[in-house]
Amino acid sequence: MIAWSAPAADRHAEPPSRRRTRWIDGDPTLRDITDDVMRPLTSRPGAAWWAAFAVAASALAIGAASVTYEVTTGIGTWGLNKTVGWAFDITNFVFWVGIGHAGTLISAILLLLRQQWRTAISRSAEAMTIFAVMCAAMFPLIHMGRPWLAFWVLPYPNSRGPLWVNFRSPLLWDVFAINTYLTISLVFWYVGMIPDFATLRDRAQSPLRRFAYSMLSLGWDGSARTWSRYETASTLLAGLATPLVISVHTIVSMDFATSVLPGWHATIFPPYFVAGAVFSGFAMVLTLLIIVRRVMRLERYITLRHLDAMAKIMLLTGSIVGLAYATEFYNAWYGHNVYERAVFLNRVTGPYAWGFWIMVGCNACAPQLLWIRRLRRNVPILFALSIAVNVGMWFERFIIIVTSLHRSFLPSTWTMYRPSMIEVGTLIGSFGLFFTCFLLFVRLLPMIAMWEVKALAGHRDEATR
Amino acid sequence: MVSWQLAAATAALTCAIAAAVLARELSRVGVHQGYAPAQPIAFSHKLHAGDFRVPCLYCHFGARTSRHAGIPPANVCMNCHGLLQKQTTDLELLKELIDQQRPVAWIKVHNLPDFVYFNHSQHVTAHVECQACHGHVERMTRVEQQAPLTMGWCIDCHRQRRTDFTVPAANLDCGKCHY
Amino acid sequence: MAEPLTFWRERPEADTSRRDFLTRIGFTLAASALAGCSRGPVQQAIPFLNKPEEITPGVASWYATTCGGCSSACALLAKTRDGRPIKIEGNAESRLFGGGTCAAGQATVLSLYDPDRARGPVWRGNATTWEAIDKEIQPRLTAAAERRVVLLSGTITSPSTRALIAEWSSRFPHFSHIVYDAVSFSGLREATRRVFGVAAVPHFRFDEANTIVGLDADFLGTWLSPVEFTRQYAGRRRRALDQDRVRHHHFEAGVSLTGSNADRRILMPPSAHGATALALLRQIAARAGVAIDGLALDATVDNNAIAVAADDLWRDRGHSLVVSGSNEPSVQVIVHAINGVLGNVGTTVDLDAPSLQKQGDDAAVAALVDDMERGDVHALLVYGANPVYDYREASRFVRAMESVALTVSFADRVDETAAHCHAVCPDHHFLEAWGDAEPVAGSFSLAQPTIAPLFDTRAVQDSLLVWLGRAPGFYGYIRETWRRDRFPRQTRYQSFDEFWDHSLHDGVFETRPAPVAPSRSPERLALPTDAWRAAASEIERGSRDAANRSSTEYELHLYETVALGDGRHANNPWLQELPDPVSKITWGNFVAVSAAAAGRLGVESGDVLRVSSGDRVVELPAFVQPGQSSDTVSIARGYGRERAGRVGTGVGANAVRFAAARVVTLAKTGRQQALAATQTHHSVEGRPIVRTLTRDQLRQHDAAVEAPLATLYPPREGGQHHWAMAVDLNACTGCSACVTACQAENNVPVVGADEVRRGREMHWIRVDRYYGGTDAQLTTAVQPMMCQHCENAPCETVCPVLATVHSSDGINQQVYNRCVGTRYCENNCPYKVRRFNWFQYAGNERFDYTLTDPLERMVLNPDVVVRARGVMEKCSLCVQRIQTEKLAARREDRPLADGRIQTACGQSCPADAIVFGDLNDPNSRVAKLRAGRRHYTVLEELGTRPNVGYLMRVVDDEREQTPHTETRL
Repeated sequence: MIAWSAPAADRHAEPPSRRRTRWIDGDPTLRDITDDVMRPLTSRPGAAWWAAFAVAASALAIGAASVTYEVTTGIGTWGLNKTVGWAFDITNFVFWVGIGHAGTLISAILLLLRQQWRTAISRSAEAMTIFAVMCAAMFPLIHMGRPWLAFWVLPYPNSRGPLWVNFRSPLLWDVFAINTYLTISLVFWYVGMIPDFATLRDRAQSPLRRFAYSMLSLGWDGSARTWSRYETASTLLAGLATPLVISVHTIVSMDFATSVLPGWHATIFPPYFVAGAVFSGFAMVLTLLIIVRRVMRLERYITLRHLDAMAKIMLLTGSIVGLAYATEFYNAWYGHNVYERAVFLNRVTGPYAWGFWIMVGCNACAPQLLWIRRLRRNVPILFALSIAVNVGMWFERFIIIVTSLHRSFLPSTWTMYRPSMIEVGTLIGSFGLFFTCFLLFVRLLPMIAMWEVKALAGHRDEATR
Repeated sequence: MVSWQLAAATAALTCAIAAAVLARELSRVGVHQGYAPAQPIAFSHKLHAGDFRVPCLYCHFGARTSRHAGIPPANVCMNCHGLLQKQTTDLELLKELIDQQRPVAWIKVHNLPDFVYFNHSQHVTAHVECQACHGHVERMTRVEQQAPLTMGWCIDCHRQRRTDFTVPAANLDCGKCHY
Repeated sequence: MAEPLTFWRERPEADTSRRDFLTRIGFTLAASALAGCSRGPVQQAIPFLNKPEEITPGVASWYATTCGGCSSACALLAKTRDGRPIKIEGNAESRLFGGGTCAAGQATVLSLYDPDRARGPVWRGNATTWEAIDKEIQPRLTAAAERRVVLLSGTITSPSTRALIAEWSSRFPHFSHIVYDAVSFSGLREATRRVFGVAAVPHFRFDEANTIVGLDADFLGTWLSPVEFTRQYAGRRRRALDQDRVRHHHFEAGVSLTGSNADRRILMPPSAHGATALALLRQIAARAGVAIDGLALDATVDNNAIAVAADDLWRDRGHSLVVSGSNEPSVQVIVHAINGVLGNVGTTVDLDAPSLQKQGDDAAVAALVDDMERGDVHALLVYGANPVYDYREASRFVRAMESVALTVSFADRVDETAAHCHAVCPDHHFLEAWGDAEPVAGSFSLAQPTIAPLFDTRAVQDSLLVWLGRAPGFYGYIRETWRRDRFPRQTRYQSFDEFWDHSLHDGVFETRPAPVAPSRSPERLALPTDAWRAAASEIERGSRDAANRSSTEYELHLYETVALGDGRHANNPWLQELPDPVSKITWGNFVAVSAAAAGRLGVESGDVLRVSSGDRVVELPAFVQPGQSSDTVSIARGYGRERAGRVGTGVGANAVRFAAARVVTLAKTGRQQALAATQTHHSVEGRPIVRTLTRDQLRQHDAAVEAPLATLYPPREGGQHHWAMAVDLNACTGCSACVTACQAENNVPVVGADEVRRGREMHWIRVDRYYGGTDAQLTTAVQPMMCQHCENAPCETVCPVLATVHSSDGINQQVYNRCVGTRYCENNCPYKVRRFNWFQYAGNERFDYTLTDPLERMVLNPDVVVRARGVMEKCSLCVQRIQTEKLAARREDRPLADGRIQTACGQSCPADAIVFGDLNDPNSRVAKLRAGRRHYTVLEELGTRPNVGYLMRVVDDEREQTPHTETRL
C-alpha cells in the first residue's frame, strides 16, 4: 500500500556539517507542528488505515478463537509433549518482552543522555512498548494448565495457612519484573502526553472530546511552575525506568539461566538477552516508523537521520548478539561437558538446524550491512532488514527453548516438537493485538511529542515572528 | 478545573470498595461453616452423645481403624433400640426402612474436597478429641459444621502440635494430606 | 460410602446463600477464581444396613487367590476396598512365584470391570436366563448320549475342574476333552513322550543353571511361566554376582525380552532352528565322547557361536539348561538329548514334578476339526479357548462348527468363537469365582471370590455340574476334591477344615508329588537312541526345504508380546498402552524388519507394508528393529481381534492367519501409519546413564569406591525417616510388570494411541531401553526410570506456587491441587519423569478407557486422587502405602519394620529388582545396597542427589555386553 520513493523532504536534505544535526526538515512553525501531528486525530481515517485495521482485527479474532479453544479444551491442543513443555508460548512471551524494550530505552536512557533525536520517536516507541508488553504478559497466563488459578502466583493473604508463593522461582520474579515494567512504562507514557493532552483540550471542538482531554491533561496550565515541576517529574521517572530496561530481560533470561538444562544453564544469558531485546526492540520501532512516517506524512519529523541513528544502535546490539552466539559455542566446546556439547551440535546440525541458521543469518550477519552509510539511509533496505531481524529474533527464542528441551540428558526421552494450528493462531493473534492497539493509538493520541519537537523548532520560530 | 480531581477521587474510591468486597467474598468461597442440613431422620446427638453419654466411637467405630469415621449401620442403632420400648415417628421410619432392607441416606455434614486425604484413625490414634474438629456435637440437636475446615485451620493445629511435646507431633508436609 | 473420586464433576448444591453470590457479580475474575476451588456438593453418606464383620469402609482387606490371566496360574493376593477388588499383587507365600506378577496379571483386575463382558447367557443371539438356557442345552446333551460330545478347552490347571471333566467322560460315553493352546507346547510334550515315555512339559529350573542356552524361547517374557522363570533367572544372577559366573546364550531371529537379556545373543532364522539344535548336540556329544553317526556338519548355522555355547554348557554340565521354543517334536527331542547328555535331567529339567501349564495337543485338535467337518461331533463346548480367532485354519474351523448340532461357549464375552456358537454361557471372572490350580505337579493354589458376580454370569464348573444333572456349587466340589486328594498328602493339620482354612488363607499348598515318570538312568539318556536319529533326519529334511526360498520372500517369525500374549487381554487398555519391553511400541503390532531388509524394500519405520502368503494378506506398519535377522520378519500375534470390545477390536492385524506359512512376501503400500512408540531414540549416546561393572572389578572391592561429589547446598535436616529406593539393574529384565502395577495403584490414566504418538503417555514409571552393537551382536541395556526424588530437586526450585516441595522424609511431593500447570518443573527435570494432564482424562468420552466408564472407575484406588486437567503428576513413591504402614505401626505401637512398606512397582517385580526402605535405619536392605560398590545415582554430576539409586549390572565383558559406545542406531 506504500509506494517506495525517497520523500520530497529528503531530496534537498542539507549535507552533514560541523553544526549539530537538526532533527526537523524544513522550517515548520509551532502551528504547523501541531497541525501535522494532529492531522490523524482530527481527519477521518483513510482506506489504508481501514484496510490495515481490518487485517489486524481479524488476526486478533483468530487469536481470541485459538486461546478460547485452548483454555476450554486443554494445553493438549498445542503440540507440546512430555519432553518439550514450552515452545511457542514462551517463545512468543520472550519475543514480545524483547520488542517492549526499545520504548523505555529511547525515552528514559536517551532522555537522561539528552539525545534530542529521541523526541520525534519516543512517543510511538513508548506506545509500542506498552502494547508489546501486553502481548507478552498474555502468554505466561494462557500457557498455564489452569489459567483460572493464575492469581495463585501473587503473594496474597489466604486461608491456606497462609500458603505463600515460591520466591526462589524465576517465574515469580517474572511476575514482578513484567508488572513493574508495564506500570512504569504506562505512567511514563502518560506523563509524557500530559502537555499534548492540554493542547488537544484547547483545540477540541466537541464538548465530549474537550471533557475527555481535560480529564487526561490533569488540569495542565502551561505556567512556568507547571513546566519546571513537569521537567523534574519526567527526569525522576526516567531515572526510575532506566534500571528496568536492564532488569526486565535480565530476569526473563533467568527463566532459562537458572535451570539445569544444557543450552539454558548459561551465565551469559542476562547481557545476551538484554542486548537481543534492545536489538529486536529497535527493529520493531524501525518497522513501524518507516510505515508510519510514510502513511501519516511525518517524514519531516521522523527524518532519515532518525532512521540512521536507530540503524546504528541495531548494528551495535546486533553485533553483541552475534558475539554472544559465538561465546556460547566457545563455552560448549571449551567446557568439555558432553551434554552441553551435544545440545549445541544438535542446534547446528540437528532437526531444527534450519531455524538456527535463519537466526544466525538474520541476527548476526544481516545487520553487518549497516556498516555502510548508504544502506543506513536507504528506507527499503532498512525496512527489509528490520523485518529480517524481527523474524531472526523470534527464531532465536524458539531455538533456545526447543532445541534445549527436545534433546536433554536422557536420550530415551528425546522427542520432536511440531506446533499445532492453535499455537500458530495464538502467535497470529498476538500480532493482531499489537497492531490493533497501535493503529488505534495513531488515530486517538498524538504519536509525536509535540511539546518536545517544538522545543527543537522553537528558536527558529522566535526569529520569524 | 475541579472536575478531573473530583472524578479521579470518586473513581479511586469505588475501585477500593469493589476490591475490598470482592476480596472478602472470594476469601469465603468454598467455606461452609455453619452448614447444618436437615437429615432424613432427625437424630439428636444432644440426646444420645450428650444426655445419655453414648461414646462417639460406639457408633462411629470406623474412626478407630479407618480413614472414615463412618455412619453407624442400622444394626448398631438396633443394638439399643431393639430393646428399648420407647417409640417415635423417626424410629418407626427407621424400622420401616430396615424392613424394606433400605439403608438410611444421611446427608454428609463435614465435607472435604477429595484432593485432601483425611484419616480419622490417624487423628484418633494421636489422641485428638473429636470435638477439636467437629465442635461440641454432644450439644447439637442437628449437627452443624462449626470449624471452617480450611487448610489454614488444619495447619494451625498441626503447628501447635509441633511445639507441644506432650502430644504426638503432627507433620506439616504437603504429602501428608495431598496425594 | 458414596465418595466421589474426582473433584471436577459435582452436582450443584440446591441452596446456600454464598454460592449464589457469585452468580450475582458476574465478572470473570470471580468466575475464574471459583473454578479453582471445589464446591461442596450435597454428599450422601449411606451406611451398611447390616455391617459384615470383616468389612470396614475405608480399610483394605486382602484375599489369596490364583491368577486366571493365563495358564501359568500364579498365586496372587487381591486387595479389596469397600467390597471391590482394586489391585492384584503376587503372593509371597508361593515357592514357585514368590510374590511376583507379570503386567498381564496386574491388569486382570481391570478386565473384571470390562464393560464389554457378557451380561448374561445368550441363546442363538438373544439374551436369556440360565433356567431357559439350561432347558435348551441339557436335553440336547442327553440326546447326544450316543454321539460325540467334545469339550474344547485351553489348558486347565485346576485339578478340581479336571476331576469334574473326568465325571463327564463317565457320564457321556463318547465324551472327549481336547486341550487347545493358541500357543502350543504340543511338540515338547510329544518329544518328552518319545524320549521319556511320558507326554509332559518338564518343569525347568533356571535357578539351578549356570549356563543357559535358549533357542527362540522367550522364557523371561512369554514362554510357559515367565514370572516363575524371571524369578529363577534373576535369583541365579544375584547369587552369581561376585563368585562364579553365569552365562546365557540366546539364539533367535527377532529381538525378544529374553534375547535382550542374554550375555550373548546370536541371530538364528527360524529355518535354522533345528539345524542349530543338531549342531549343538553334535558339539556336546563330541565333548562327551558319545559317537553319533549320520549327523553331517551343517554349514547354514553359526558354528563358532554354537561352539562357544557348547563349551559353556559342557563346563557346567549337570548345571546347565537348554530350552527351545520350537513346537517341532523332532527339535525338542534333540534338545532333550542335549540336556540328557549334559546330565541336566533331574537337576534343571525336572520330570518328577512336571509343569502342567501347557497341555495342548495339536494332533487331537486337528482330528477334532476333521470329525466336526464329517459331522461326527454332536456337541462342542468351548472353554478358555478362542479357535475362531487364533486357530491356524480359523475359517475352516468356522465351517466345521456349522455341522455341529450344539455349540456352547463359556467365554466371558461374545468373542470370535462365541459369536458362532448357539449358546454363550459366560463364565465368571476369576476374581468372582471359586477355583484351584496346580501349575506344577504338587504345587497347588486356591482361588476365592473377592466380589459378588457383577453380571448374570455362572462359573463354567457350575454349568458343567448342572448339565450333569447335579446341583451347582463348585465350592463344595473343590472342598471335596481337596479333602480327597490334598488333605491326605499333608500331616500338619489334623482336621480337614483346619487344613482348608489355612490353605485358603495362604492361597498355596505345596508338596512334592510321588515320582510319576518311568525309570530313566542317566547313562541311558546319554546314549544316542532311535528317537535321536529319527528326529535328526527329520530336521535335516526340514532344513533342506527351508533352504529354497526366493529372494523376495522373507521368513516369518510369529511371537507373543509381553503385554497381549495370545490376544485374550486385547480389550484391556492398560495392556494395550503398555510399551513393549523391547520395541517400546504401544497400541498395535507391526512388521519388524532388519535395517538391511528395510534398505532393500526402501521402507522406514511407519511405512505400511502389505504382508502376504498365498491368498492371506495383512497390512501393518514396518518397524526397523535393530538386531533383527536380516531375512526374517517378526510379527506379533494377539492383535487384530474382531470381537474383543471397544478398546481391543481392530487394534493391529491378526498375524495368526500366517501360522501355517513359513515365508511371506512383503510389498510397500506407500501409506504411512505412525507407530505409537514411547521411546524413539535408541542409542545411549555414550552417556554414563546405565552403568555396568565387570565381575573382576566387583571382586577387587565390593565397598563403594566413588566418594560422593561435593555440594554447596546445606544438608537437609533429617526427618523421622529417609525413604530411598535402589533399583538393581543386574536383576531387572525390563519385563514392565512395574509399569502396569504402578498404573493400577496410582490411577494413572490411559491416553490412547494418538496421544502416545504425540509423546504424552502418563506412566509414572517407564523402562528405558538402549541398544548398542550391531544387528549381528546386539547389546541392550534397560533401566526403570521414575521420579528420582532428588534431595536437591531442580523441579522444586522453579515452581512458582510451591506445588512441588520436599518432604521431611526425603520424598519429592507433587501437590496436584496446588499446581497451576506452568510445566517449568517438567522442563527442568533432568530425568523427564513428570507427566502433565494435557486434557481432562477422567470422565471424558474422548478418553473412554479407565477413568470414564462408571464400571471401570470401580478399579480406582480411593486413596489416590484422580488428577484434573492442567496439573503435573509423577511418581510419589506410593506415599499412600507409606502412610498406611506408618499408621498401622503407630496404632499397633510397634516399630516400622524394614520391608513392611513395598511400593507397587517393587511388590510386582518378579526379579525383586526394586528395593524400598528407610536410610535412617542402617540395617535396612536399601541402606546396605546404597553403601555397596554397585550403587550409583543417575546424572550424579548435576548434584541433584537422588534418593532413588541404581545398582550396576555386572557383566563379564563390557565391550561385548553393554551399549555404552556410540552406535549407528
